[in-house]
Amino acid sequence: MGATLVEDVDTLAGLSLVDAAAAVADGSISAVALTEACIARTRRLEPKVNSVIWLDEAGALEAAEAADAARRAGAALGPLHGVPMAHKDMYYKAGQRSSCGSAIRRDFRPTITATVLERLEGAGAVTFGGLNMAEFAQNPTGHNRHYGDCLNPWNEAHITGGSSSGSGAAVAARFAFMALGSDTGGSIRLPASACGVTGLKPTQTRVSRFGVMPLSFSCDNVGPLARSARDCARVMTVMAGHDPKDPTSAKEAVPDYEAALDGDLRGMRIGVPETFFLDGVAPSVLAAMETALDVLRGRGASVTRIKLPLIPELSACSSVVSRCEAAAIHGEWMREYPQDYAVHLSARLFPGYAIPATHYIEALSRRGPLLQEFCRAVFSEFDLLVTPTIATELPTRAETDIDHGPPGTAAKFMAVSNNTRLINYLGLPAISVPCGFDSLGLPVGLQIIGRPFAEARVMQAADAFQRDSDWHLRVPAL
Amino acid sequence: MAQEMKELVVATAGRWSGVQPPNEAALELAADLQSIVAAFEAVRGGLRFEDEPAGFEAALQACKETP
Repeated sequence: MGATLVEDVDTLAGLSLVDAAAAVADGSISAVALTEACIARTRRLEPKVNSVIWLDEAGALEAAEAADAARRAGAALGPLHGVPMAHKDMYYKAGQRSSCGSAIRRDFRPTITATVLERLEGAGAVTFGGLNMAEFAQNPTGHNRHYGDCLNPWNEAHITGGSSSGSGAAVAARFAFMALGSDTGGSIRLPASACGVTGLKPTQTRVSRFGVMPLSFSCDNVGPLARSARDCARVMTVMAGHDPKDPTSAKEAVPDYEAALDGDLRGMRIGVPETFFLDGVAPSVLAAMETALDVLRGRGASVTRIKLPLIPELSACSSVVSRCEAAAIHGEWMREYPQDYAVHLSARLFPGYAIPATHYIEALSRRGPLLQEFCRAVFSEFDLLVTPTIATELPTRAETDIDHGPPGTAAKFMAVSNNTRLINYLGLPAISVPCGFDSLGLPVGLQIIGRPFAEARVMQAADAFQRDSDWHLRVPAL
Repeated sequence: MAQEMKELVVATAGRWSGVQPPNEAALELAADLQSIVAAFEAVRGGLRFEDEPAGFEAALQACKETP
């Protein structure tokens, strides 16, 4: 490919999702050109990222051609019309391979299609691939023995964050305008933070999980990783809402999330937890967060340091729920094919078979009361909480490689998700937005947390921040 | 204490679920269950159960922002 063509491809692939959709809608760019640009950039740079498990070039181009034909015919266009996307390889599409990042499901072809894929494609999105991920979505780093570790586009020695590793890396590398991730203990927010993109974990029950590989029935969430809060808002307006196929999904009305993005934070009360979330925080991470808080103040928000209640209770209960549920889900395979799991995964699943059911029930039964007590104590005083998404400087893959590392590696591995896990137990919405770089030159993420169903407010604050900062526009040099 | 916990986990996982320790790392992490036991011990008596028919989904609704 000549230099000019490469530049054209990179310019197209570098648009935001919202701008790409607008360009397709007004006919200034075709869906085919966008799709070809994404696939060409992916093919050229993928060896440096290892974010893709499968590509469906023919299927994507066929969908893009249909999108262009519909526009020419004057059809009503959806809000994602002609926009290419690729997703964590655990969203089922009937007949399409869905590896779940595993050897066990290397050739798995589901017979059902995830509701979220139907909604995205119904809004015009073009799906072109399945993305690398932690095996069965079960690590916070992005290590994968079967498909190779996903490589951080900013520095391949460092983790991408997980488990939606390929989603974070592919969006950062400008392969896809948006990628679905899933978040059970931080798996959207961690790769968003580590790769310098924007990732939203919605309120528990906000988005249908039908046709999505389960890890923990109580704590799994579906959400977008994209280049900005506005891009996430566009996707959430399409995806959120009750699904009769997922009886656990909320019947809460879905607002127009983009309409809430007005940049005005006057009167917004932000609490910054002094304890737990800042334990062991790196100076460079703290400095990035402080600068970000100044930006939010500049938009009219007030910022107050607070001491969060209930941390010991939340820590105890949250440590049990997803471990027990994951162990139960993987019981058959752990009996029959334990050798087919990576060491770190089977090792983490194993203790789950010995946690007493009474503790699991205790943790589930106390979830509602703890949420109510937490919200009474915190959200009566504040609208949002802000923390670093990952408090430490971003570790390397070697430092967190449980399969091959020395004793103590597991502690570094687990520390990555320290600031995200409790939020899943509480079921709260939270977004991670890039807010700087650590002393090693790796992205730092800012986590913004809201009360249940306050996605609009969370994204409003994130968007306001991105109006006065450009961290989300930085692109790694690949 | 760590050895005792390892043996307990191995016996329980094997007896109740038919799952054997897949590797040495699994035994190390089995010993770490002691920290979960300690975490529950630390908050014992300070938590309450839901004593009415309710659920987490109802709590999410109860805690949402009201206009």
